[in-house]
Amino acid sequence: MRWIWIDRFDEFVPGQRAVAVKNVSLAEEHLHDHFPGYPLMPASLLVEGMAQTAGILVGEVRQFSEKVILAKVKRATFHQIVRPGDQVRHEAVIEQISAAAAATTGRIWRGQELIGEVDLVFSHIDQNLSGLEFPEENFVFTAQFLELLKTYRRNPTESIRL
Amino acid sequence: MPTPGRAEIFQKVRETLVDALSVEEDEVTEEAVLTTDLGAESIDFLDIVFRLEKAFNIKIPQEELIPRDILSNADYVENRKLNATGIQALKAAMPHADLSAFEKDPDIDKISDVFTVGTIVNFVQAKLAAQS
Amino acid sequence: MKFLLIDRIVDLEPGRRIVAYKALSLAEEYLADHFPSFPVLPGVLMLEAMVQASAWLVRVSLDFAPGLVLLKEARNVTYKSFLAPGQVLRIESVCQELAPAQSQFSAVGQVEGREVVKGRLTLRHLNLADTDPSLADIDARNRAHMRALFDRLAARSAGLGEQAVAAPRMPAL
Repeated sequence: MRWIWIDRFDEFVPGQRAVAVKNVSLAEEHLHDHFPGYPLMPASLLVEGMAQTAGILVGEVRQFSEKVILAKVKRATFHQIVRPGDQVRHEAVIEQISAAAAATTGRIWRGQELIGEVDLVFSHIDQNLSGLEFPEENFVFTAQFLELLKTYRRNPTESIRL
Repeated sequence: MPTPGRAEIFQKVRETLVDALSVEEDEVTEEAVLTTDLGAESIDFLDIVFRLEKAFNIKIPQEELIPRDILSNADYVENRKLNATGIQALKAAMPHADLSAFEKDPDIDKISDVFTVGTIVNFVQAKLAAQS
Repeated sequence: MKFLLIDRIVDLEPGRRIVAYKALSLAEEYLADHFPSFPVLPGVLMLEAMVQASAWLVRVSLDFAPGLVLLKEARNVTYKSFLAPGQVLRIESVCQELAPAQSQFSAVGQVEGREVVKGRLTLRHLNLADTDPSLADIDARNRAHMRALFDRLAARSAGLGEQAVAAPRMPAL
């Protein structure tokens, strides 16, 4: 399975806010363990969808020159369960950003219903003296993420006709 | 607008630490060390700085809280410990902190341990006074 | 992927504490994306491992009464380091509160003795029949499934205890 938990950007205001959607489908293998007979989207993967939306928003501020990783989940609160056939929207806002880190708030929606709130802190690991070793190149913002952003910008409303 | 008194600053700092570190109010005393007593990690320091900026409407440049430039200055550091000149420079740069314990073993990797709740309150108080 | 983030339960005190392991293998396909050239367990899967360990403690403590045990809230989950393939994440979750419909945990994850993650969790426990009585059979199947899964995950060979993990009984080849 691919580690991508958002399908498309619906909004992207650089340095400020982004909205990405995620469709939940029975074709996704993990749902069959969570749980057998009653599949529902794991909360932790909804956190990841928000982390990917917010992480790209934060990374873009410095043109993806730094490795931005999730360092802290301040809070992730869930009010509803999400089921196959649902489409959720991850709405992320940058609250603060410095050389070393960024703080984001986020809300997860299904239509008009608030599914949950996810507030995160990202660390720019090149800036933080963690004493850990990792490769030079930016392994965080892979082609699949950069392409999501590229296709949003190029074709926000147009579609290809057959 | 008058600057808040120390007691008011302490209350807001305490609230911030309770929220950021999942500790109880009564654990947050003046002398409590953020790392060893309250379990703060380095990412928590970054989170706490953001929260304090918001709570008090101040800007906290990283070097003001912890002067990394002094800690990475080759003239001041030998074998990852600050020498006498380095310690003097640090004291001048960190008037908000009590460095007497740190002086006995000035290990640059343990700088975060100098931060007590009181240190944070001192820092915010000085920042607010400078602003007004 | 199989969404089982706990491979083995090694210690369990009902109502109090659980210790469980998650082993990371390069065979886990999502690692190819997280990250290319630097495969590490995603932070949210560390969170999920803490949730699942805590959920096992809830199920055993409540004799598998709830069909579903779900994360209601995670607070101050901090990540300190990475878990690489070949390493084992040891989760210890301590129960602060346990009620029939909700529980609170303080959990920590360690790798080779070093803390890599910690956080506070609130779980909700429910049965589908609570809101729709016609789904009682799904609850029953879930409960049975979880009992069977628990038996496989708990180190039964030498009784519960971390020593049991050091000497698993394996069939001879």
